[in-house]
Amino acid sequence: MTGRKLIMTFPVTETSHLLADYQARGGYQTLAKALREMRPEEITKEVVASGILGHGGAAFPAGRKWGVIKLNDEQPHFLCANADEGEPGTFKDRWILENAPHLLLESMLIAAYALQVRNAFVYIRGEFDLPYRRLAAAVEEAYAAGYFGERILGTDFACDIVIYRGAGSYVCGEASALITSIEGRKGYPRNRPPRLTVRGLYQRPTVINNVETLANVTAIVARGGEAFRTVGTAKSPGTQLVSISGHVQRPGVYEVEYGYPLAKFIYEDCGGVLGGGKLKCIVPGGISTKVLTAAEIETVTYDHVSLTAAGSGVGSGGMVVIAEGTCMVRLLQILLRFYHHESCGQCTPCREGMGWMHRIIDRIVAGEGRMDDIDQLVRISKANDGTTICGMGDAAGYATLGIIAKYRDEFEYYIEYKRSRLDGRLEVPQAEFAHG
Amino acid sequence: MVEFFINDQPVQAEDNQTVMQAARAHGFFIPYFCWHPQLSVPGNCRICMVEVTNEGQAAGSGWLDIACNMPITRGMRVLTDSERVRARRKETLQFITLNHPVDCGICDKAGECTLQDYHYEYNGSPSISRDAKVHATKHFPLSERIVLDNERCIMCTRCVRFTREVSRSDALGVVNRGDHSLIRPVEDGRFEQDAYSDNVIDICPVGALLSTRFLHKARVWYLEPTASVCPGCERGCTVNIWHRKNEWKLKALDAKQNARIDRVTPLENAAVNGPWICNKGRDLAQIFERARADQCLLKGRPVDLQTAIASARALIAAARRPVALVSNWGSNEELAAYRQALGERFTSFVKTDWQPVSGEPLEDDLLIRPDKNPNTAAARALFPPLPADVGSAFPADTDLVLVWGEGFSFAQLPPRARIIYLNSWLQPENGHADVFLPISVMTERRGHYTNFEGTVSAFEPCFASAPGVAHAQDLFAALVTRAVAVST
Amino acid sequence: MKHLIPEFDAMRRRYPPGAESSLVLPCLRRIQEDRGYVADSDIAELAAYIPVPRIQVEEVLAHYTQYRRAPIGRWHLQVCHNLSCSMRGAEGALGHLQRKLGTEPGQTTADGRFTLSTAECLGSCGTAPVVMVNDAYHENMSPARIDALLQELAK
Repeated sequence: MTGRKLIMTFPVTETSHLLADYQARGGYQTLAKALREMRPEEITKEVVASGILGHGGAAFPAGRKWGVIKLNDEQPHFLCANADEGEPGTFKDRWILENAPHLLLESMLIAAYALQVRNAFVYIRGEFDLPYRRLAAAVEEAYAAGYFGERILGTDFACDIVIYRGAGSYVCGEASALITSIEGRKGYPRNRPPRLTVRGLYQRPTVINNVETLANVTAIVARGGEAFRTVGTAKSPGTQLVSISGHVQRPGVYEVEYGYPLAKFIYEDCGGVLGGGKLKCIVPGGISTKVLTAAEIETVTYDHVSLTAAGSGVGSGGMVVIAEGTCMVRLLQILLRFYHHESCGQCTPCREGMGWMHRIIDRIVAGEGRMDDIDQLVRISKANDGTTICGMGDAAGYATLGIIAKYRDEFEYYIEYKRSRLDGRLEVPQAEFAHG
Repeated sequence: MVEFFINDQPVQAEDNQTVMQAARAHGFFIPYFCWHPQLSVPGNCRICMVEVTNEGQAAGSGWLDIACNMPITRGMRVLTDSERVRARRKETLQFITLNHPVDCGICDKAGECTLQDYHYEYNGSPSISRDAKVHATKHFPLSERIVLDNERCIMCTRCVRFTREVSRSDALGVVNRGDHSLIRPVEDGRFEQDAYSDNVIDICPVGALLSTRFLHKARVWYLEPTASVCPGCERGCTVNIWHRKNEWKLKALDAKQNARIDRVTPLENAAVNGPWICNKGRDLAQIFERARADQCLLKGRPVDLQTAIASARALIAAARRPVALVSNWGSNEELAAYRQALGERFTSFVKTDWQPVSGEPLEDDLLIRPDKNPNTAAARALFPPLPADVGSAFPADTDLVLVWGEGFSFAQLPPRARIIYLNSWLQPENGHADVFLPISVMTERRGHYTNFEGTVSAFEPCFASAPGVAHAQDLFAALVTRAVAVST
Repeated sequence: MKHLIPEFDAMRRRYPPGAESSLVLPCLRRIQEDRGYVADSDIAELAAYIPVPRIQVEEVLAHYTQYRRAPIGRWHLQVCHNLSCSMRGAEGALGHLQRKLGTEPGQTTADGRFTLSTAECLGSCGTAPVVMVNDAYHENMSPARIDALLQELAK
């Protein structure tokens, strides 16, 4: 048991995602309470009181974001759920979309009411199929039940929702690129200012929250923000849906209460390293967080303070377990290939830097590396830190710096001997087709 | 107003100015590629990053961010040239030149290239990359007028934004992602119809967008710009006409190369055209390099200037009903001289030298005006326009018509009237006039034009007129008074 | 594209006023679903229908990986080769498919049935290795399961 649960509070069955099951669990009663007993600003107040941090990777206090929206400013506001989930290693929002779509929808309705939003959007990555179909079906059920449209639950509140499907672009998970995509354009992030809560979708005040962040809103409003805080830690209230994969015995999505010991989670709850091998390191929260070695995770609890103090972060909750024997040079090659493929190309450091790093790592892996290639990768990473339009440049830099800092010797070996010290291994022996 | 500090100097900025705008307004230079005063701010090149601390923060503890999108807060302290800023610029230039071909030796932009200039001022160091450069299309025909070199392109998107925000043709875009991004024209060929397309050549900070007409014709340092006014329509955009500098007029070259219009670019003018001109203004060589008349004629028979003047003077003195058709390409000075000398003597009408050419854009809400002549306003302030029924301009007893400028068919003249013709161009009518006098064009003298809004703009001479070609301004007085000598 | 206009009209009504530009992505998806790819003629028609500048449609087609401007095989097999999938057998899965189909990534089999590609993270890392078959995720793809899949698709 990985601590208390707020979201994965019911057994997943063939029907648990359907409206009837959700209602049987108390679904949409919090919406009723919100619409009938609370004013919009009171709802935002609860979200602020909860202290909930965004679950998309940036960990920005959601209540503070909501608080920027000026009520009654006589212009449309928009709410977007970020279901782009493209960060490698991350598949936890998918769990919500497939298994608890109505939880998301109820939360979005409560949020829309709090933020005076008439038109809400869910931006879902284009590749997702079952999650999209489940969500679309849930939206239809919700409309049929009168939870969307005009005069919801007999009140003046009206809200419509559109599920906007992406079309294959990781950078559209970045909030400003996401809304630019909803506007029917390329996924180009925007410079700030202006903040999106001031001028966002179609230049209107917009709140973009990760799916999991929004999914928590129902619980926050149901119990109250202060009560929400009793779960988790002081600085990291609540829980995190962790998607764990890689060289792990029991991959999947787990709800982990913040503060839970990380090593315990990996070794006990997830069954430890696949095939019983030794842990080399983990990617804690999506590839854009710095790797932590097996030794380093011994003293880490799963929360923002502890992970940041260890030199990494909660990130997107996409945890990847890496066993001893894995070649970190080939691993970095995958990451840099990915960032190069996904760079939107707008700004100089990322556009040129991603391709550059990819070409360098390809050369190293092909046995044509030179010793100063390592320092060049470091230099390029640092030149992307805080210099780009969006966080992707920084992310690629952190991933690279983290791996080189802790496994520089593997790179030096590869360059000197023109081959991997670990036979270029990415899989552990029992890993290949372990599912049979 | 907001007070803040740039390089420790207090600066008063307007509300809503960015650091970039306030810095420029106060004479501080912050480098930029993608920023342009007339276009939206994309903030993609990152070369304008500056160092900032807020009121009360310790120096050196601040952050770096782009100046072009940075709002000003009271008391903020901006450094445009600190150690950290310099280091940041060097890194940015490393990235910009990473895949840049650096083929300045064969690039037309050399000598006026922002990337060259910044490289020398801010970096100077060769690339640290060991990897092959990404290759892309070297010679992509963006349109019949513009060729695109994708390798030189630094993706500043000025050209794209120009077509979205200024010319509104929406004809350029960026396709693909990452370092495979490419500037491309819309696939239906609409960029060919963008009457302002060539402005992207000016605003491109590197040699990615080049004029096909100017391609490989001259090094820019052989050329100098002379301020002038485009005669293409009554907007009267101010332009720079580029031609060979005196010291580069080599004897070994074909003489024509020393006396040609190499290219035309906008001369920025807040009152008239801002920093833009339409494509017609680029093609002024097509107007001015037509065959010139350089020989006086009496009914087709070559004579010297003094003979021709004397004949004309005699005709004018003897005329009982003289009518004049005044050129709306005449400069303010020429018109004044005409009026002074002949305005009383002749019943004068302003003719329309140029009609719109088939296929030429007539009018739009940017610069292009329907009257394709440069000085109709000034001419009509003095004289009435030629009536639509041309015949009604000539009383039955008209015995002399003075025609000034091109574009008028002699078939419309009363058959018995004598004709004095002043024209610059080698045209068949020249030989039909009783007296023909070749005159200079605007690129050969100083003068002013008045545009349709009454704004007066000056043009300067680029070239000398040929021997035998007089300035109309000098001729008019000589046509009434023997005492006035005319030089050529 | 004309026969899709009633659907597009219905889509349009779901967006707030002034948000027509949003129609670009969903309409392109629908066109591609219908035709199998987006034809050049579709671009002009869609731009005129919405309306948006045509260049916007061209840029969108070139930016997002899921759009195709030319037909491909009946079955598009996309093998994720990102981190977790590579750590759980993606290279083997890809190699197996290459051998079985006789194609490289990016190619289509001669009979036009299968197009093989690689893909970046599909968000299914817990059930790696993952192969996307047209719209569907096929998870835990061992060689045996790949063989079964190919047999199924060949029918």
